[in-house]
Amino acid sequence: MLTIVLQQGINGIVFGSLYVLVALGLTLIYGVLVQINFAHADIVTIGAFAAYFFTFLFGGNYLVSIGIALMVGAALGWLVNATIFAPLRERGSELLPLIATIGVSILLQNAMLLWFGPIPYAFDSPYSNEVIRLGGGTFITWQNLIIIGVSAVTIALLYAFMKFTMMGKALRAVAQDRETAGLMGINPNQLIMLTFVIASALAGMGGAMLGPILVLTPFAGTSVIVKAFAIVIIGGFGNVEGTIIAGLAVGLVESFATQLVNPGLTDLIVFTLLLLMLAFRPTGLIAEKREENV
Amino acid sequence: MSSGGGLALAGQSGNRRWWLFVAAVVIAALPLVFQDSYWRTNLIVCAINIMLAIGLDFILGYAGQLNLGHSAFYGIGAYASTLLIMKLGVPFWMAFVCAVVLSGAAGMALSIFAVRLRGHYLAIASLGFAVIVHQVLLNWISLTQGPLGIYAIKPPPDIALPGLPVISFGNTANMFYLVAAFAFLFYLLLDQLVRSPIGETLTAIREDEVSAASFGINCTAWKVFAFGVGSAIAGAAGAFYASFVGTLVPDAFIITESFTILAMVIVGGMGTLIGPVWGAILLTVLPELLRGFGDLRLVLYGAALTLVVLFLPGGLVQAVQILRARFGLLRTAGDAGMRR
Repeated sequence: MLTIVLQQGINGIVFGSLYVLVALGLTLIYGVLVQINFAHADIVTIGAFAAYFFTFLFGGNYLVSIGIALMVGAALGWLVNATIFAPLRERGSELLPLIATIGVSILLQNAMLLWFGPIPYAFDSPYSNEVIRLGGGTFITWQNLIIIGVSAVTIALLYAFMKFTMMGKALRAVAQDRETAGLMGINPNQLIMLTFVIASALAGMGGAMLGPILVLTPFAGTSVIVKAFAIVIIGGFGNVEGTIIAGLAVGLVESFATQLVNPGLTDLIVFTLLLLMLAFRPTGLIAEKREENV
Repeated sequence: MSSGGGLALAGQSGNRRWWLFVAAVVIAALPLVFQDSYWRTNLIVCAINIMLAIGLDFILGYAGQLNLGHSAFYGIGAYASTLLIMKLGVPFWMAFVCAVVLSGAAGMALSIFAVRLRGHYLAIASLGFAVIVHQVLLNWISLTQGPLGIYAIKPPPDIALPGLPVISFGNTANMFYLVAAFAFLFYLLLDQLVRSPIGETLTAIREDEVSAASFGINCTAWKVFAFGVGSAIAGAAGAFYASFVGTLVPDAFIITESFTILAMVIVGGMGTLIGPVWGAILLTVLPELLRGFGDLRLVLYGAALTLVVLFLPGGLVQAVQILRARFGLLRTAGDAGMRR
């Protein structure tokens, strides 16, 4: 029993750290722009495909492919902001950008369906079969170790960037009050662009590591993104620490639900948690200033 | 602006009866024009989609609540009516009423639950609700048979009026008349609602909830009301869908279905009732015409949604207005000159 608990704990952290990578992007964008990017899901999917094609068509190294996916994601983030969010920002509508990105998402999914077909791709990471035995009958694959390591380093770097660099401070200033930040000589448009690039780079990177775990089809990102939405809300929209905790928690809940209850019910449990959270604590795990939406 | 708008409305209301008459004639003529079962099927799907779109538009365009879970109410209506008929032997029309009431109640429940939430939070909460409903349909196998689906659902019972031939809804033309009649009825109902003070109240809440509340409007109650009406109509659409298609699988009510309905509302023009009708027709018929292009048609669907939001936020209705302004300019200028 203890072995099962430990093993599912490891699995939960693996999934959780990937959810954190995806959800952090949504939270960052929400923090700065108070907007939701639905096409985030497809950046995850495209990241996964980029990594797949790099490793299997061009024979590249899997670790390098994570970097490739990161760059592809960053480019897509720039594109989504330049074409959708920047033009709509002047109109000041709350919901139109969200609806527009739903359109982008439908567009990208079906474009991928057209090119890649509906049949799942077998994205086997070379590290999936190399197992490290830990004590007590538990084990971890190199792949999972890479996922946890890369995610942890990325999250730590992001955290340090936000906390200690000038640009990170400017970013937080824009998130708190865009107009005042503008008066202090910060260019909010540049920082919003930077946020999109960072957020989408995280999504692309998450996609490259999710690829071998998920069923890799053009719709792979969608299943992750709805959970990422749940995580972002549970953690408190725009709250980085809350998102990290909530992401790991959802990963763990999911992995134990799979083991102890029924694999089919994991989404049900996660979303019931979400609705309960919205009902009783809509500000998220860590309550913060943002009140206007609650 | 407001007095001008009032004048325009007064001018239109004389035309309104005329337009409704034209619409009824067109509905009556459609199955006669389209005799083959393929296009008649599309007509019925059009009518169902119109119900879904105007219901969502009432919630989104008038009450200003972004509901991304419309597919859930559609699914609740479909499964509720079918299960009542097949498991409990309830007559079709009673099951239909139950499905409408149940979907409406589910919508109101979600709305009460989420009433403190606005904008993005409501969007995500309704999305979560849609995921939960889909998962329940998928996993409650003893009731819904899960992904295997429910088969051999009968069409609505025949209507035998004395002295007239029996009306069978196995016939696609009759089925179309039935569904279209209900779509028309719901349109009239919503049309009356949005023209009444209720419509103005909802618009006031949409534009500025705090000011609306300061006028003594109970915003919560009206938002719940709008959500209930919109989702009840989706429930009716679901009941017709099940009895028309004859099979039910949970994946018919997956969240992407919500996005499809949303696209119809936006492309047509949210905040008007006629817009979503045209949006539903266009986005049902156009993909069929483009069937030869395979998956490309759904790419176009997404492109249409994005481009409309970016360049034509009023949708088809705005496009018509622009065209009318351009070509009607001379005429109105002439009228003004005559009046002077």
